[in-house]
Amino acid sequence: MSATPTTTPTSTKPNKKVTKTNIKETLLTPRFYTTDFDEMETLFNTEINKNLNEDEFQALLQEFKTDYNQTHFVRNKEFKEAADKLDGPLRQIFVEFLERSCTAEFSGFLLYKELGRRLKKTNPVVAEIFSLMSRDEARHAGFLNKGLSDFNLALDLGFLTKARKYTFFKPKFIFYATYLSEKIGYWRYITIYRHLKANPEYQCYPIFKYFENWCQDENRHGDFFSALMKAQPQFLNDWKAKLWSRFFCLSVYVTMYLNDCQRTDFYEGIGLNTKEFDMHVIIETNRTTARIFPAVLDVENPEFKRKLDRMVEINEKILAIGENDDNSVVKNLKRIPLVAALVSELLAAYLMPPIESGSVDLAEFEPKLVY
Amino acid sequence: MLSMGTLTLSSSTTMVAHTTSNTFLGTKRQILSNKTSSLPMSLVSPTNQNFNLISSFKKQTPFTTAVASVQSDNVSSSDAPATKNEFNKYYFIVANAKFMLDEEEHFQEQLFERRRYYGERNKETDYWLVIEPKFLENFPDITKRLRRPAVALVSTNGPWITFMKLRLDRVLSGSFEADSLEEALASNPTNLEFGKPEKWVAPYPKYESGWWESFLLSGQKEVSS
Repeated sequence: MSATPTTTPTSTKPNKKVTKTNIKETLLTPRFYTTDFDEMETLFNTEINKNLNEDEFQALLQEFKTDYNQTHFVRNKEFKEAADKLDGPLRQIFVEFLERSCTAEFSGFLLYKELGRRLKKTNPVVAEIFSLMSRDEARHAGFLNKGLSDFNLALDLGFLTKARKYTFFKPKFIFYATYLSEKIGYWRYITIYRHLKANPEYQCYPIFKYFENWCQDENRHGDFFSALMKAQPQFLNDWKAKLWSRFFCLSVYVTMYLNDCQRTDFYEGIGLNTKEFDMHVIIETNRTTARIFPAVLDVENPEFKRKLDRMVEINEKILAIGENDDNSVVKNLKRIPLVAALVSELLAAYLMPPIESGSVDLAEFEPKLVY
Repeated sequence: MLSMGTLTLSSSTTMVAHTTSNTFLGTKRQILSNKTSSLPMSLVSPTNQNFNLISSFKKQTPFTTAVASVQSDNVSSSDAPATKNEFNKYYFIVANAKFMLDEEEHFQEQLFERRRYYGERNKETDYWLVIEPKFLENFPDITKRLRRPAVALVSTNGPWITFMKLRLDRVLSGSFEADSLEEALASNPTNLEFGKPEKWVAPYPKYESGWWESFLLSGQKEVSS
């Protein structure tokens, strides 16, 4: 799980040694995505798909062109000073936070950039929105990478582009997964921002002060995926869509929970209780997601959190096996019952009674709704 | 303008019917609907103008006549920027006050973000919050589904209201015309008080109540004077 800054020192300035880092890949590291671009082209071809809600896409285009944060990501000298003050384990934790965040933003940049390029002919409006979103992601990634430079590190993004493995998702899975990751990104950042605003004594690194405006970008990106899914109602309106919605909710929430529980030092370092923070983020993301997904999980049921906590315990045991001195055959044998336990917890969480949901523009309950 | 309104009404009613079944038949001065309200947006960005016009026509073939008249109407009005005393079209979304002002905290963030942006670019405000708007009297199909007190977000920027509808989802939307800003934003005096949430588990305090006052027309006048 841990990112290991390894070698490849390159010097940019005479006195400054910048170490380009590679990240050790595991199941839970931020991923790079690729998709079936031909299918995407077909989905958003206005000739073929006459149901595309041009109004919403035009509205989104205007919103992205507005570019609220054009002048927001400007660094000041606080960054270097704060980086110099961070030492001991917390320093390493912050480096890892910056690396992972930068990778996640850069991953968005690559995918959106390519979609912007590929859809140019079939749907110029959707294509331009993708390009404008890749602008945001590049800005975010660049800002984080500059943050790393204060620690005399830099992510080699060119190298990452070529060397990382890409996870293939069919377009509809890209929609579910990216929608969730943008919205959960919003809730994570706004929660950290508001917590630090209320408790400034934990404000140990200036990047958090940028989160309030920053996360509005994430929220807007999520809105765009909402519109994309509404334009493809077949991804929202049947039993398969409900099963996939629950599946993606579960995998995104569990990944975050397990990831963050391995990094409690980071969250405690900024004065948060990791599990409370995560549950808050999960509940809010789930409420937001219920505005579009046809079904979401009952995350407010206390049993859901109990299941997550058991998964954390099992995951810790699995990780502990990896760290001891047994040979790999023994390690794998020891892992089997634990992995089975984890899978059964996941399955049980997946099968908990879900909550029916969806956008009022598509939902059956709309006529009865009181606003 | 008024005759265009009637044409639009008939077409938009049909168009909306199959998506939201959410149609409102108002007086001639209300041109209604989520669907047509956003047509002028294609004229906002000059670079996309041609494409959008074409795609709108293609998409809505059955309503070509009505759509065309709305568009030509908007072409003329966008060529000559409307001044305050002219007829002006206002777009809105509306829901109960608790939803708009108390529960959806990201809504507040968006309004402050927009205010910051308008300040940076010296843009004149074209969006307002209205508590218990008087214009709702002309929308019986909205009011019968609305919990009170209600709060509307009103703007002359139609596409932005379409975007806000996409974001908030659980809101009703429409548009109307008014002779003046004061008329458009007229409200019935109401006292808003929201009880404290039963369980507040967020690791931060809730936003202060009353944040919305500076987004009301009266609040803005106080700020500027």
